[in-house]
Amino acid sequence: MTTTNPKDRTLIAVIGDEDSVTGLLLAGIGHVDNPQKKNFLIVDSKTSTSIIEGAFQDFTERKDIAILLINQHIAERIRPAVDRYQAAFPALLEIPSKEHPYDPAKDSVLKRVQKLRGD
Amino acid sequence: MSGTGPREAIFPTRMNLTLTKGRLKGAQTGHSLLAKKRDALTTRFRQILAKVDEAKRLMGRVLQLASFSLAEVTYTAGDIGYQVQESVRKASYTVRAKQENVSGVVLPAFEGVKNKDGNDFNLTGLSRGGQQIQKCRDTYVKAVGTLVELASLQTAFTILDEVIRATNRRVNAIEHVVIPRLDNTIKYINSELDEMDREEFFRLKKVQGKKKRDADRTDSERAAANSEFTESGGEVHRDEGIKGGEAGGGDMLDQGKDEDVIF
Amino acid sequence: MDAGFLEGMVRGYKGGLLTQNNYHNLTQCDNLEDFRLQLSSTDYGNFLANEPLPLSTATIADRATEKLVAEFNYLRTNAVEPLATFMDYITYAYMIDNVVLLTLGTLHERDTHELLERCHPLGVFDTMPALCVATNVDELYHSVLVETPLAPYFRDCLSAQDLDDLNIEIIRNSLYKAYLEDFHSFCQTLPSPTNQVMSRILAFEADRRSLNITINSFGTELSKDQRAKLFPTIGRLYPEGNNALARAEDLDAVIAAVDHIAEYKTFFEKAGSGSYGNGGDEGESGNSLEDEFFKHDVELNKMSFLQQFQYAVFYSFVKLKEQEVRNLTWIAECIAQDARDRINDYIPC
Repeated sequence: MTTTNPKDRTLIAVIGDEDSVTGLLLAGIGHVDNPQKKNFLIVDSKTSTSIIEGAFQDFTERKDIAILLINQHIAERIRPAVDRYQAAFPALLEIPSKEHPYDPAKDSVLKRVQKLRGD
Repeated sequence: MSGTGPREAIFPTRMNLTLTKGRLKGAQTGHSLLAKKRDALTTRFRQILAKVDEAKRLMGRVLQLASFSLAEVTYTAGDIGYQVQESVRKASYTVRAKQENVSGVVLPAFEGVKNKDGNDFNLTGLSRGGQQIQKCRDTYVKAVGTLVELASLQTAFTILDEVIRATNRRVNAIEHVVIPRLDNTIKYINSELDEMDREEFFRLKKVQGKKKRDADRTDSERAAANSEFTESGGEVHRDEGIKGGEAGGGDMLDQGKDEDVIF
Repeated sequence: MDAGFLEGMVRGYKGGLLTQNNYHNLTQCDNLEDFRLQLSSTDYGNFLANEPLPLSTATIADRATEKLVAEFNYLRTNAVEPLATFMDYITYAYMIDNVVLLTLGTLHERDTHELLERCHPLGVFDTMPALCVATNVDELYHSVLVETPLAPYFRDCLSAQDLDDLNIEIIRNSLYKAYLEDFHSFCQTLPSPTNQVMSRILAFEADRRSLNITINSFGTELSKDQRAKLFPTIGRLYPEGNNALARAEDLDAVIAAVDHIAEYKTFFEKAGSGSYGNGGDEGESGNSLEDEFFKHDVELNKMSFLQQFQYAVFYSFVKLKEQEVRNLTWIAECIAQDARDRINDYIPC
């Protein structure tokens, strides 16, 4: 488990397509620090996988993020990194996007849930 | 017996026996406590599992609704994506972590906090689509609420999973390693102590046998000396009281045994 | 009139707008591929033929807009004065959006080049890429903005200082107000019946903005004075209606302000006053005020086709086509997100 106090974690970060991010930002989760450090990343078809991975790495290592949301179809692109991620903080949540309805079968956490419920 | 299975590397003394027995008792108590903890956690875990499953499905629906309301915004107000991204300054929706204690495991629970004054997008869509944007915001705020709830469930799930595994490992370790080991040690010490008892007994017997032999020899020498003495006209005063040694099992223990057992 | 040929063209384009029957077929589609198939039998033809699958609603909207732009540009290239100026005026509305977008990018020190892609193609002007050169707001204002066709609007209502301080939405609406007023006065120089038809349309546009701004500013930091400055000084609500709006503090006051104009009053009645000011929880049940505005807009624009030998048809065509693109996007969105119950909320034109 982490050594930092979970109380310091207050932000929700998001990696998603433009529509998902826009909606979530409207809800007010967006946060930009002084050196233009954002807590969100917009991914489109042109965004390279390494950028997504970098952002994923960055968000999971930041100490002020409590929850990391990621569009499922984007999580799919960096699946190995996502599956490898086991820590409790920040909580990783795969969310559906407009064009990609939610598929419980792909969710790494739900996969574990179902395995555990199965036996 | 002492040769089967692993045991502690200690001398088989009575004090160690008492100590080990104490430890065994401790291990057993610990085992039952841990097993109880595991059961409590597992109960909690099962509850959470069901909830996670349900919440994940709920989230699918909620977010679909939310993205549809964004489509309504796009319909009336056009593409506001960039403007929204650029207007971001400070998070007005944050989460606060609470802690909940389940059988000594600290489970964090997130709680969404909506900050009323930090409102960067107030004027977005001023001339058209303002209402839709407002509605969309509300839908998304609700959606984020669901997400936050789900995130706490999921974190609890991850932590509990980890803790249950650890507890399980401990329970199993105590059950299958520590307790048998202590058991073995106790058996070993007992058997060694028994062995020592028997050896001691044998040694005493041996000593007794030797003493008797010596006594016999002295007796016969004395008898010879006496007879010699009587033959030469002396009188022997016999001690009639002691007949021991004649009936003892000295010769019984004397047969077919190693000679070098005396230490 | 030198524009007889172009007027014929534009009427031809107008005839190519989707019919109620087309819409009906489109709403029956199960997925976006069906949607594409249905569209191929209309005026849109094979405009989506080369798109990779799966289709996204954004692509559909982009391609449909491109078609609109192509048609508009064809008309524009063939136009002579004063129609050419008239058509330029149409594009200014989009330019305002683009310039505001770029200003926003500059304010946040973004790489504005990637923003060019996001600009509305109708609002592209020659010196627009030059806006990207500016690295700070001051530079943007002094060396670049004055070169754009929008320069008078900027000069009249904003200083370089304002660009920094004011909320971007206030800037946008100040510009738009100046634009509407300017466009209106330009239209008055054109011969009848253009001026009549256009002033009717622009008056409605102005009133719609005033009403929207008023309603949307409730509960925000926009002060009443600031709000009043954003109201265009044309339209049927001007001046006394605008004054009433400037003082309005809740929806009832707004309704009272439009009381003397029967059409606007019915909008509010139809929209149901309950669905505003509380986040629009009842918005799903009935049409929103915004929808009513759109409907009226479409009606006005259709009406302008009833009169011949005037320029308003060009304006109306662009607006109708724009509405059509919105409708297509809406239907596509409903299909993609499986929201059948809302699919008929489009506004046919």
